[in-house]
Formats: sequence, C-alpha cells, structure tokens
Amino acid sequence: MKKVITGRSILFVVLSVMLVAIIALGGNIGCSQTEVLAPNEIREYEGADLSSINDFRENSIKGPQEINVDSYMLRITGLVMNSTNYTYDEVLNMYQRYKKVVTLDCVEGWSVTILWEGLLISDLLAEAGPLENAEVVIFHAYDGYTTSLPIDYIIDNDILIAYKMNDVVLPPERGFPFQLVAESKWGYKWIKWITEIELSDDVDYRGYWESRGYSNSADLDDSYFGD
Amino acid sequence: MTNQQLVRKSIQWILTALVIIYLITGFGITEYRIVEPLTFGLLTKSLAQKIHISIEIPFIVFLILHIWLLPLLKHFRSKKLVNE
Repeated sequence: MKKVITGRSILFVVLSVMLVAIIALGGNIGCSQTEVLAPNEIREYEGADLSSINDFRENSIKGPQEINVDSYMLRITGLVMNSTNYTYDEVLNMYQRYKKVVTLDCVEGWSVTILWEGLLISDLLAEAGPLENAEVVIFHAYDGYTTSLPIDYIIDNDILIAYKMNDVVLPPERGFPFQLVAESKWGYKWIKWITEIELSDDVDYRGYWESRGYSNSADLDDSYFGD
Repeated sequence: MTNQQLVRKSIQWILTALVIIYLITGFGITEYRIVEPLTFGLLTKSLAQKIHISIEIPFIVFLILHIWLLPLLKHFRSKKLVNE
C-alpha cells in the first residue's frame, strides 16, 4: 500500500520535534534557573505595582556573568579630562543615589516594571570632565557587549546606572554590579555588567545589536529596526 | 485533481511551510544563541524577528482559509442546490 505524505503528517512530525526540543531545552535555556527570591524584594512602590526580579528573560549574549566585586573597577575613559577608575564601593559612596520606577521593554515582546536605585551617569561624567567634542557615551560590559547613547540624552533624562532593583542588590544574572537604566529606550540599550564608560565623538558608533540590524536610536516610540 | 482539491492542497502546504517558518524564527528570536550557530550564522536574531513579524498576517489568513474554506464551499454548494 502506498503511503501518502500529507502536509498534516509533516506538520505533526515538526510539531513533535519542536515539543521535544522545548522540553529538552526548557530546563536549561528557555527558562531561567531556579533562583531563590530575595526575601526583601519589594513588589509595590508608591502605589505602583512592580514586576519581580525573576520576571526577566535571560537573553544576554554570553549568559550571566559572575563579577568579583573585590577586583572590579569601573573605568571612565575616552574624551575626558581625567580618565578614572572606581572600585564598586567608591562608586556607591561618592555620589548621590536616586530611585526611579522605570519599565524595561524588550524587543522580544515582554516588559518589566522595576524600582531602580542607582546614581546619575552625569555625576560620574562631571567628575571625569567630558571634553567639548564628546558626543556619544559608549558602554562596555564584562561579556564584551557594547551599546551607545548620545551624551545629551544621558544628561537631559537623568539616566541612572543601577546597583539595586526592587530594593535588592542586582543579582549576577541581572547585571551586578551595574546596569544601565535606559529610560524610553528598547531593552538592548539596558546594558548589564558595565565595566567601562567611554566618551567618544563617533556619532556613527553602533553597539552589539545595533550593528546586527537593530535601531541605533532605539526609541520606544519608533520601530526597533532601521537607522 | 479538481480545482477545489488543488486549492485545498496548496493552502495546506503553504500553511505547513508558514507554521514551520513561524516556529523556527520564533526560536531564532528567543534562542538565538542556539539557532544562529545551527544555521551557520544565516538566521540571525534580527532576521528571524523580521521574518517572524512579516509572516504573521499571511499565517492568520491561511489559517482562516484552511479552517473555513471547506465549510464555506459546502455551504455555498448546498445553497446553490436549493436554489436550483
């Protein structure tokens, strides 16, 4: 008897393979590892409902990074009068701290609303003394990821680098020691594990995802593809 | 094969292709660290996302056609017979 391969049977096979793949991968990749929720994570702040630390999807380029706080240095480099290196404690103790509830919107379609606590990047930059021709701030991460934002955007919008979320110190998988809170920008601008802040005059600089087809301006109001 | 059968078969095959592409590109967005090397760098996250978004409407159209085409044709045929 001749067997007829129909679209339905192919679809059945494909769906079965996909289901097995989802089950196999789900434990390690699709879902984040089982994590103990920090006991003091807050879920409400001044009437605003907050997402949980565990609501994020892990989609970084090389997976969560473990940074040793004892050897960690935050470097401010490029077009500044004083290139500086700060330890983790120095960053936390030298500057005014701020809190802000901001929503991160990912291009994958999910979003999280978090209470971020951190310091103004403009304060860090002021200490380093940006040169007149500095136009762009390029952020470098421990895993090699980079992204950039205009210096005017950073200063005008009081952009933070956060060390706490929902009153909990950033866990390693969420970007310890510092994550950028790139308000009103798509999630790929919210760089984690920041190790270096470089000032540049290269307005055409494109970071990791920006050089792979995503918008360099990354405004939430616009498409994440293009320019 | 009648014209009706040909149309039905075409819709089925197109829908099958769309479902497969939709699933693969969906994985290409969320599991790009696996899909990109598996496709030798051809299916990048941004390309997967562009394809995924662009086939959303065709997918819905063909799914509706797949579900409703036969009942609709039967309905019109019975109506025609009644009128005759």
